Amino acid sequence: MGARIPRLFAWLPIIALAAAGACYLESDDDGASLHLTRADWQDTVASDYTAPPSRQDSAALPAAWRPVTLPFNPAIALLRQAESGTGGASPRAVRVTWLKVAVQAAPAGALALYGIRVKTDGTVAVYVDGRLVHRAQQRGPSWNSTRTPLWFTLDNSAGTPPVREILLRLEHSDASQTALSSLRLGPVDTLRAPYHVRLWLQQELPAMLSAAFMAVGVFALFVWLRRRHESAYLLFFALAATAFLRGLHFYVDLPVKNDWFAWLTVNALFWLVLSVHVFLCQLHRQPLRWLTRALVAVSLLIGVLTLPVLAVLPAMPTVTPMIYPVAALMSLIACVVGGICAWRHSGEGRLVVYGLFACTALGITDWMLQNNVISAEGWYLGAYAPAVCFITFGRLMYRRYLDAIAEVERVNASLAERLRAREAELDASHHRLRQIELRQTISDERQRLMQDMHDGLGSSLISAIRSVERGNISDARVSQILKDCLDDLKLTIDSMEPVEADLLLLLATLRFRLEPRLEGSGVGLLWEVRELPALAWLDPTSALHILRIVQESIANILRHTRATEIRVGTTAVADGVEVRIADNGGGFDVAAALAHGGGRGLQNQRRRAASVDGKVDWRSGAGGTTFILWLPLRRA
Amino acid sequence: MKQTDHNDARPIHVAIVEDDPDFSNALILVVDHAADMRLAGRAGTQAEGLAMLAGPPADVLLVDLGLPDGSGIEVIRAAARLWPGCSTMVSTNFGDETHVMRSIEAGAAGYLLKDSSPSRMADEIRSLASGGSPISPIIARQVLARFRHQPAAPAHQQPAVPDEEAPALLSQREKEVLDYITKGFTAHEIASLMELSHFTVRTFVRRIYSKLKVTSKAEAIFEARTQGLLS
Repeated sequence: MGARIPRLFAWLPIIALAAAGACYLESDDDGASLHLTRADWQDTVASDYTAPPSRQDSAALPAAWRPVTLPFNPAIALLRQAESGTGGASPRAVRVTWLKVAVQAAPAGALALYGIRVKTDGTVAVYVDGRLVHRAQQRGPSWNSTRTPLWFTLDNSAGTPPVREILLRLEHSDASQTALSSLRLGPVDTLRAPYHVRLWLQQELPAMLSAAFMAVGVFALFVWLRRRHESAYLLFFALAATAFLRGLHFYVDLPVKNDWFAWLTVNALFWLVLSVHVFLCQLHRQPLRWLTRALVAVSLLIGVLTLPVLAVLPAMPTVTPMIYPVAALMSLIACVVGGICAWRHSGEGRLVVYGLFACTALGITDWMLQNNVISAEGWYLGAYAPAVCFITFGRLMYRRYLDAIAEVERVNASLAERLRAREAELDASHHRLRQIELRQTISDERQRLMQDMHDGLGSSLISAIRSVERGNISDARVSQILKDCLDDLKLTIDSMEPVEADLLLLLATLRFRLEPRLEGSGVGLLWEVRELPALAWLDPTSALHILRIVQESIANILRHTRATEIRVGTTAVADGVEVRIADNGGGFDVAAALAHGGGRGLQNQRRRAASVDGKVDWRSGAGGTTFILWLPLRRA
Repeated sequence: MKQTDHNDARPIHVAIVEDDPDFSNALILVVDHAADMRLAGRAGTQAEGLAMLAGPPADVLLVDLGLPDGSGIEVIRAAARLWPGCSTMVSTNFGDETHVMRSIEAGAAGYLLKDSSPSRMADEIRSLASGGSPISPIIARQVLARFRHQPAAPAHQQPAVPDEEAPALLSQREKEVLDYITKGFTAHEIASLMELSHFTVRTFVRRIYSKLKVTSKAEAIFEARTQGLLS
């Protein structure tokens, strides 16, 4: 489908032309209008251009009439014409071509005279039965004159005798030639349609297409302004601009003069060819430096030679027939070389070559029409060259656009694909990480239990075994040691229970475990705990340290003092919590105990507290000892 | 005090399912020494235990979980069905949460730490027979979490926050008791804090256990339904 639509567009102008032709032919069959194809003609010489007289009797002219079949397109001596054009400001002589058409059985009613083309570089005057009825190009030709059909209505009110003769007076310079298509005389309503179709296809439609191309070119320019690295957009703008300038003379109603406008329209053709060539080079990716340089040199040379101020080669219709073949040659060379380069590498290049070839062919037919090589009733097809350009390059842009969309979709799809891959990777690495973490946790836990068993349970059991083996221990003592071991074991198990950051629950568990021991000892336990903030860092390792610290503290009281009462209290302080264990025993010298080797229990408590970033402190006096465990709210 | 309570009444019939002969013997010694208790039966395996349940029901059944031919949980479950009036007690080394919770959910009313002193064992049996149940802080926390379905919230906030999720399941007083236990207070201390008798505190715990059994059964049925095991 991508290729079918532009192809359809390419056929549009051809279809339009065919339709116009059919319309034209149809009107030809209309018996109401007269098709005048026979005329007599002669040339007279004058010293200068003169205004046509209001009456001109054909019989008054020299009797040198020669018959001719319309369309009338005498051969032009191009070199002589160009020479005269470049020779001087004023022509050496003025010639007048007279064309006399006899009319038989002219239809009655409101009549119009219509001719596809009348071409001269002087004035046009039309006489009907000797009376001046129509004048054109009174101040010389305009740029669009050769594309403007001859058209006027005849004032033949009732009683006027029927038209018998039509006489055309065409003034022109000495070296140039005139041309005239066949004429049609008939009712206004019958002839208006073919006249308007001709005018529309020759002037208005090309103007519209040209403007459309220019608009797309401006769009491309703005794209290029934001994307300077993509020179194709700038080239596209150059193409549109030069094609637009080149097309101007098809429909601009300015008098033909050797001025900047003439210079622009002539040179735009060379620039257009150059732009297409550079574009082609970009497509087939071969620099072709020499050809490019040659084309630039020719364009520059023509540009300089045709400068209005220099007037070496005036950009006048008399001279341009000699200039345009250069452009056609340039175009054909670019076409052939570009075609060879692009043939295998670039489908787009081939398309542009076709387009350029078509434009060149159109230009050549224009040249032939302009120079009376082909019938004056032909079409100026060169006006459609911008349209061909537009379609060709429009198709390229259309393809690029579709490709860009496809690319974006592809990139998006691959992005999604990559995202999925990354997610899977992330999942896998997360899984790996979790496994490592799990292994680490298990390893930490094992190490913790090993350490605890080694320090507590293990050493107690070993010393008990030694004592039993030596036989110097009582059964009660063995039982006590084993009970202590079991308590140790229970606390180890409790430390693994989920206490969920609740220090009170931990202390409660400890109390629950120690209760049977306390009951037997006769020491009263006063439970004076207060609400505590949650300690988020309270994991099994920290829990066991805290349990051991408090256990040791209570064991010390039971072992070394004669206390009758233990108070356990908790307090929330500024940046932590405090656990206080106070007894009413005898007290002890803290500094001495710490310094002495016997204070291993105290040192252990201190070490365990440090490993949870906490502190321990003893305040001892005659009334008893208060042990304080401080724990932080948060740990770094 | 305990002696006078039970002397006149019918003695407590105690049955034992235990494969460890040492503990079994120690227990039998406790029962024999207590005037208010009588050994009603003794089994060493799960099979014997289940067979014993076909006979006349005892008042207190002591079950060990690690039996040579299967789990004691099956015995507890069967006892709940066949001896509905009997209070079952699981005997455990450490009273750890997983063992005890599972047993309570199966229908046990309490647990006995195997290293308890003989007098404490006798006290526990008596307390159980008269409708009380023991509890540890960790178990209390687990029970609260089970009823709340929010195991993360700290228990000491419990009284302040009215529980809307399970108001029909645990009463405010029951939750209060559990909360005190998680803070380390003993049954006696809680009794004076809440102006109850300490025995009432223990019966509260029994009621909580039976509710836990019901919820766990409901949960099991719900679970089975959602997994398509029951139609």
